[in-house]
Amino acid sequence: MGSGLPSWRVNSIEVYEGIKKGKIFDPSEHPELAQFVGYAQSPQALVLDDRVRIYFSIRKSDSGGKFLSHVSFVDFDLELRGILGVANSPVIELGKLGTFDEHGIFPFSPLKDGNRIVAYTCGWSRRGSVSVETSTGLAVSHDNGLTFSRVGDGPIMSSSLHEPFLVGDSFVRVFNGVYHMWYIFGIRWSCFENEGPPDRVYKIAHATSTDGIHFTPNGKAIIADKLHEDECQALPSVIYHTGLYHMVFCYREAVGFRKEKSRGYRLGYAYSSDLLTWTRDDDRLGIAMADEGWDSEMMCYPHFFSCSDEWHLLYNGNEFGKHGFGLATLVR
Amino acid sequence: MFHWKKLGQVFRPQEVSGVSWLQEFAQAPCVLHFPDFLRVYFSCRPPADEKGQYVSYSAFVDLDRKDLFKKIRLASQPILTLGELGTFDEFGTYPVSVVRNKDKVMAYYGGWTRCESVPFNVAIGAAVSVDGGQTFTRLGKGPVISYSPDEPFVMSGPKIRRFNDQWVLFYIAGKKWIDHQGRPEPVYRIRMARSTDGLHWEKLNKDLIEVRIEADECQASPDVFFANGKYHMFFCYRHSLNYRGKEGGYRIGYASSSNLIDWKREDEKAGIDVSDEGWDSEMISYPHVFEVDGTVYMFYLGNQVGRFGFGLAKLEGELN
Repeated sequence: MGSGLPSWRVNSIEVYEGIKKGKIFDPSEHPELAQFVGYAQSPQALVLDDRVRIYFSIRKSDSGGKFLSHVSFVDFDLELRGILGVANSPVIELGKLGTFDEHGIFPFSPLKDGNRIVAYTCGWSRRGSVSVETSTGLAVSHDNGLTFSRVGDGPIMSSSLHEPFLVGDSFVRVFNGVYHMWYIFGIRWSCFENEGPPDRVYKIAHATSTDGIHFTPNGKAIIADKLHEDECQALPSVIYHTGLYHMVFCYREAVGFRKEKSRGYRLGYAYSSDLLTWTRDDDRLGIAMADEGWDSEMMCYPHFFSCSDEWHLLYNGNEFGKHGFGLATLVR
Repeated sequence: MFHWKKLGQVFRPQEVSGVSWLQEFAQAPCVLHFPDFLRVYFSCRPPADEKGQYVSYSAFVDLDRKDLFKKIRLASQPILTLGELGTFDEFGTYPVSVVRNKDKVMAYYGGWTRCESVPFNVAIGAAVSVDGGQTFTRLGKGPVISYSPDEPFVMSGPKIRRFNDQWVLFYIAGKKWIDHQGRPEPVYRIRMARSTDGLHWEKLNKDLIEVRIEADECQASPDVFFANGKYHMFFCYRHSLNYRGKEGGYRIGYASSSNLIDWKREDEKAGIDVSDEGWDSEMISYPHVFEVDGTVYMFYLGNQVGRFGFGLAKLEGELN
C-alpha cells in the first residue's frame, strides 16, 4: 500500500431533473420498472464493448405480501455518465416449486469467463422456523447478458458439514487460471431479542475451483471481526490492483440493524498479497457515510470493477438499496 | 423369482408405553450385527403437534440373534438429537443407515427441515458413535451430501455400504414437486455417490433405476446386498399421486448389477408382495436385506409406511 489513504471521487451525474450526488440510479425514475415495488440492490457490473451493464435485484410483492427479488439491469455508457437503457423484464426467471431460488435471486454476480458470460446467483427459499435459506446457483447467458438460464434446478454450492446454512453472496474471479469464489455462510441463527423472529450471523469465506462449477468450501471465516463475534459480513468484492488483492464488503450488527444507524451496514475493507491471509483495515477504504442524503444511514452491497482505465465502486445506501445505488471512482 | 416367507411383525410401536418420543411409526429398519444380538435401528415419532406436524427421531431395538422375535432391550433415548435452529435436521432424523468403521459406528441419515411453499426439504447428514451405536454425535451442523444442479432437493433415504475399500451411499434425490390440488407432492429417484473416506463424496449424477409404473414414479429405500457374485438391490416404489392407499401405494421392486452403476430392473423377481389381509395388506415398503448365521432375511414396512411397525421375511433358496 502506498502512503496515505485512497481517495474517491463520488460521482455526480445528471439523472433527469437534477443532480444526485453519488447516486447514479434510482428505480423509481424509470417507467420500465413500474411493475416492481422498488429497490435496486447489489449493483454488479459487466463491462461490454460499448456499455457497462449493471445488474441489480429489484422486488415484487407476492400474493401473501412478501417480497420476491428479481434481477434486472441498467446500461450505462463506458464513462458511466449517462443511462443508455433499462431492461424491460427480469433477466432470469425465479426457480420452480420447491427449488433453492424459488423466492428470489439476490445478489446476482456476472462474470466474463473467456467467451462466456455467466452469473453466480444467490437463491432464496423460505423456511418454517427461520425466515429463509440461501444457496449459490450458476446461470449462463448466450445473448451478451440480456437473459440467463440456470445450469440446473439445484445450486452449485449449498449447505455443507461446516457451513450449515445461508451460503450466498458469491463473487467469482479468475486469477492465474484458478476460479476464486468469495461468499458468505451462516454460522448461527439466534433469537437475539425476546420478541421478533430469529436473526442470523454470517461470515465471509473463500473457495476455489478449476472449472467454475465445483467449488470446495472450507468452512472458515477469512475476515477478522471488527465489532465482535456476532458481526455479520456480506457481499465480498475483490480486485487485483497495484500488486495487491483488495476486498471491499459490508458488515453490520446482528440486531437493530434495520432501524438504528449506528448498527446498520457500512463498508469494510481488507487486503491480501497471497489470497490466503487478509488484513482488515476499514479506514484505508477512504470512503465514509455521508452526513445527509441517500447514503447517510447505511452503506452496503459494494462492488469493485474497472472500466476505461478507472477503478469504480458501486454501492447501496439507506434502507438496503431501496432507493437505488451510487458510484465512486478511485482518484488516487 | 425369489421366495420370501413372511414370518410376521417384529416390532409394533403401539406396544411401547411411556416413551414420549416413540408413539407412532417404526420406519426404515436397519441392522447392526453384534455377537449375541442384532441392533435394529428405526425411525419413530412423538404425536403430531397442534398443526398436525411431526418430528422424527431414530432409535433402536436389540433382538436376540437366535430368535429375532425376542426383544432384549429398547433404546432409552433417541440415538441423535434434533439439529439447532435453522439447520437442515431441525425437524427430523429419518431414516438412518449405519456401518462399522474400525471401533466406531458411522450413521448416515436424512435431516428434515420445514419450508413455506412445499412442506419439507431433506439433506443427508452424518454422525459417529463411539459407544457401539447407542448414541451418535453429528460430524457438523450441516449435511455431508447436499443439493446440486441435478439433485435440487429432497436428498433422503441414505443406505451406506462398504464394498472393496470403497464407501458407497445409495440415496434418493427429488426430481420435481407436483402441485396437486394445492398440496405439493415430491417425485424422487434412486441415486448413488462414492467416497474413499465416508466424508467427501462424489455423486454419480445418474438415476440408477429406470421407471416402470409411470413417468413420475417415486422410488425409495435402495437396499443393496452382495451375494453370489453380484449386487442385489431391493427398493420400494409407488405412484406419484394417490399413493396413501392400496392402489397407488408402495410395493417392493428388485434390480441387480455387476458394477454398482448399471442396474437391471426385474420387479417380477422380488418375490414379496402385499398380503391378502392384516398389517401389510395395502402396501409394503422400505426393504432391508441382511444375513444372520447363514440365513438371509428382509425387514420391511407395512400399511401407512411403518405406522404400525416392521415385519420380517426369510429367504427360501438363494439370491442369484
